[in-house]
Amino acid sequence: MTADKSIVCACEDVTVHDLEDAVARGYGDIESLKRYTGLGTGPCQGKSCEVAAMRICTSGNKLAPGAQVPFRARPPFAPTAMAEFAGLQAPPPSSEPQPGLRPTWGKGPHPLQPATPLPEKVDVAIIGGGIMGLALAWHLAGEGAGKVLVLERGYLCEGASGRNGGGVRAQWTTPTLIELAKESIAFMGRFAQELGINVWLRKGGYLFLAHDEETLRRIEGSVDLQRKHGLPTRIVTAGEAGEIAPELDTSKFLAASWNPEDGVVFPWPFLWGYAEGARRRGAQVETFTRVTGIETGQGRVRALQTDRGRVAADRIVVACGAWSPQVAKLAGVQLPNVPYRHEIVSSEPLKPFLGPLVTMLGTGLYFSQSMRGEIVGGMGDPQELPGLNQSSSLRFLARYSRALTELVPRLGSVKLLRQWAGCYDVTPDHSPVLGETPGVAGLLQMSGFVGHGFMMAPAVARRMAEWMGGTKDEIFERFALRRFAEGRLEKETFIIG
Amino acid sequence: MDRDGPQTIRISLDGQAIDAQRGDTVAAALLRAGITTFTRSIKYHRPRGPFCLQGSCGQCLMRIDGAPSLLACRVLAEEGMICQRQNAPLGAEKDIFRAADFLFPEGLDHHHLMTGSRLLGRVALEVARRLAGLGELPDKPRAPVEAELRKARLVIVGAGPAGLAAARAAGDALRAAEGGVLLLEREPRPGGGALLAIDPALPDRDQIAQMALALQGEVMLDSECVGLYANDTALPGNALVAVRQRGRLLLLIAERVLVAVGGASQPLPFAGVDRPGVHAARGLVALPAMVGERLVVVGEGKELVDCARALRRKGYLLERVIALGKSWPAAADLPIEENQPRRALGNPVRALQVGDSRIHCDAVAIAMNPAPLHELASSVGAHARWVAEVGGFPIQVDGEGRTSVPWLFAAGRCAGLGGSAALNSGEAAGRAAGRG
Ligand SMILES: Cc1cc2nc3c(=O)[nH]c(=O)nc-3n(C[C@H](O)[C@H](O)[C@H](O)COP(=O)(O)OP(=O)(O)OC[C@H]3O[C@@H](n4cnc5c(N)ncnc54)[C@H](O)[C@@H]3O)c2cc1C
Ligand code: FES
Repeated sequence: MTADKSIVCACEDVTVHDLEDAVARGYGDIESLKRYTGLGTGPCQGKSCEVAAMRICTSGNKLAPGAQVPFRARPPFAPTAMAEFAGLQAPPPSSEPQPGLRPTWGKGPHPLQPATPLPEKVDVAIIGGGIMGLALAWHLAGEGAGKVLVLERGYLCEGASGRNGGGVRAQWTTPTLIELAKESIAFMGRFAQELGINVWLRKGGYLFLAHDEETLRRIEGSVDLQRKHGLPTRIVTAGEAGEIAPELDTSKFLAASWNPEDGVVFPWPFLWGYAEGARRRGAQVETFTRVTGIETGQGRVRALQTDRGRVAADRIVVACGAWSPQVAKLAGVQLPNVPYRHEIVSSEPLKPFLGPLVTMLGTGLYFSQSMRGEIVGGMGDPQELPGLNQSSSLRFLARYSRALTELVPRLGSVKLLRQWAGCYDVTPDHSPVLGETPGVAGLLQMSGFVGHGFMMAPAVARRMAEWMGGTKDEIFERFALRRFAEGRLEKETFIIG
Repeated sequence: MDRDGPQTIRISLDGQAIDAQRGDTVAAALLRAGITTFTRSIKYHRPRGPFCLQGSCGQCLMRIDGAPSLLACRVLAEEGMICQRQNAPLGAEKDIFRAADFLFPEGLDHHHLMTGSRLLGRVALEVARRLAGLGELPDKPRAPVEAELRKARLVIVGAGPAGLAAARAAGDALRAAEGGVLLLEREPRPGGGALLAIDPALPDRDQIAQMALALQGEVMLDSECVGLYANDTALPGNALVAVRQRGRLLLLIAERVLVAVGGASQPLPFAGVDRPGVHAARGLVALPAMVGERLVVVGEGKELVDCARALRRKGYLLERVIALGKSWPAAADLPIEENQPRRALGNPVRALQVGDSRIHCDAVAIAMNPAPLHELASSVGAHARWVAEVGGFPIQVDGEGRTSVPWLFAAGRCAGLGGSAALNSGEAAGRAAGRG
């Protein structure tokens, strides 16, 4: 017996009903529709569903003509085995900065920008609808912080929060990050009950592989600290690591640090959950709205300019991830953060075989198996130039495939399906920038989370909301922007990628 | 094709021996043997069979010789080949997890499933994890296959009518230049959509053969372009073209690229369209095997008429030809009526409900306009927009095939210029791309 479903995307079993539901919930732009329903994320890569989906979206003139564009196409366009990419000696990268992606809809504001006016005045305006901004809005709205407005220039998931690997771990080398991560992971376990949407936290553990003696000593040092903070982290031999992740070639590393309580999540629903939760509590979340200016006067913030008009605000939070330096500059503020592209790729869906997220501290390779069975992973590139570049490269596929198939030879004929990129928001000490801005009262910073902001956000946002409500909290001293001028850095060394 | 040796070969499916004809794809061999369920779907474990038969829909994934999720419609059957169906622990015909399908007739909203309690949430997580994925890990490791690197002035992707015309028009001077013009074709022979002989406006097989012959040496067959990138390397050139050639990669560094990759057959979202026994009409035309005798053909406009006629020439009996819109070219020879398909019934499909009546058949063929394959071009920033009449997102081009990316040109169906427009658009774009 087979039920009477009208399937639009056969790869992911997405029905007409699912599409209509997503549109009704406000996820009607093609990028959100893809992410919310899973449409086009399977082995056909959208070639057999994008058209049917657009037919449904355009029937009854529901979608503005300018928005009738395909979702961003992600190479490779035919499933291609990692062994084939691994055999490519990619030519050295250019020394010119790359221009990055162009908007799929052409020039000007997004065609789905709402026509309704923005409020004239709010108490708190948050720039950036990534996980930081949205989680903060949810907490602030719950604390009675007055009128809260989030402005996001794209769709939800446009920034790094929609592009990351979903790794969450408490294995850090500074006490503050360990505590923030612990609280965040605990919250992720209750996210579905608090915010009504599944985020699929799967605690398969994290394995940090040490390929040489020096790295081994580093992870031994961090294990001591982590155990003091109540984590079950321990050093395992290569053989034991091979039992935890049976497909690893254990001759490629000496030992590993292992915390079975770390895990992976599905990032996208966090944003939808926080945004919907914030709205339920009375906050306003506006997508497709870009902040173009920050007005200051007499040493404090006055208002925001956007491509939909001006909004006066008592306090303005810069939560723009890798775009934060650019946005802070609108208020004449110089942030030390530098954006760097990080690329990532997803394989065909495989039956579950890999429990933990595995990472190689020497090369920056990391990978895990998603709840959908794909191997999702990335690898930093020492030759990457700074810049807000979110385009994909062939060089990455070659380097990643080689590193991964060396460590897991059985993945050689597994095929890659979809590559994309996001930007890390890198600070000089790899620690965030939080709190007050010297000289501009009311301008608050919430950026600089390098490649680990996702797993910090739930705790950071809670503490920031409480701090904004008047509660004292040392992290807003410790991570203040001032520290760079004062030469007081907070070095974190367990950085992947 | 290798004509030596026996014409019948033997493959196996889940341990059962199947006779195949030499030259069959695995999908053709299985359909010839009457096997229609190739896999179970990922979420609801619905039975699935090949739809497009041309490598674009992903509905024919199978484990072949120990490698997971290969497109059965793209793999040539070989003596002794071992094929296994995936995602069906107790066999594809009686998959126990198909309960997920009728337990959730409206679909299963995984975002909001069991969010009420942590305990149920954990149960949902466990169940979802168990059901996840399609293929098992490959049997064997595979070492890196060394890739080749080459330079080209102009790379033309796709040797259908538009690509062939473009290569011809690109000019002798350019063709003779070092690196010159390279014409890539995914299939083992040039011709693209024209080989189907569906559309009288396109060159016939002889004309295609002549066009290809005149370009000898520049056509690379079995060469599928899997990625196009703006050149971000230190080497000179505008574009990187990643090409798969029989299991290895070729990297082309090109000054200009012209895409003429055509379109992909599209299903229609009515109930049961995903069932085994619903196929793309073009796929059935190209298939060396028959899928029964009696067909219902559903589609629109000229594509419907052309495909219905081609299927009848192939020997099918057309039970009914269902047109979705009001307009189609006059075709007194075809039993065309305007109507809407409601649901496909049976596994494999044995009837199509249209309005209130059921039409019995052996299979359903869908003949919608193939949708422009914009991905290569749009991934590097060329604009593509929805055009309802085209039925997809053609790459936006000017009269000379220029896209919004200076080094990139497009022609033929992928630019919304299929059928009779293909040759002219290819020629104009080829000339412009040749000049630079
Ligand atoms: C490839 C990759 C892998 C990663 N892996 C992990 C991981 O495994 N685990 C983990 O914890 N973290 C990971 N990270 C890091 C993590 O994704 C980020 O730290 C986190 O998402 C940052 O959130 P955010 O809200 O600060 O920034 P973002 O999510 O980038 O949000 C900033 C938003 O600001 C918007 N914006 C910018 N300018 C303007 C403007 N002028 N007006 C209005 N809006 C504007 C942007 O559109 C964007 O949506 C990864 C990052 C990348 C790129
Ligand atoms: S991809 Fe093989 S039938 Fe469509």
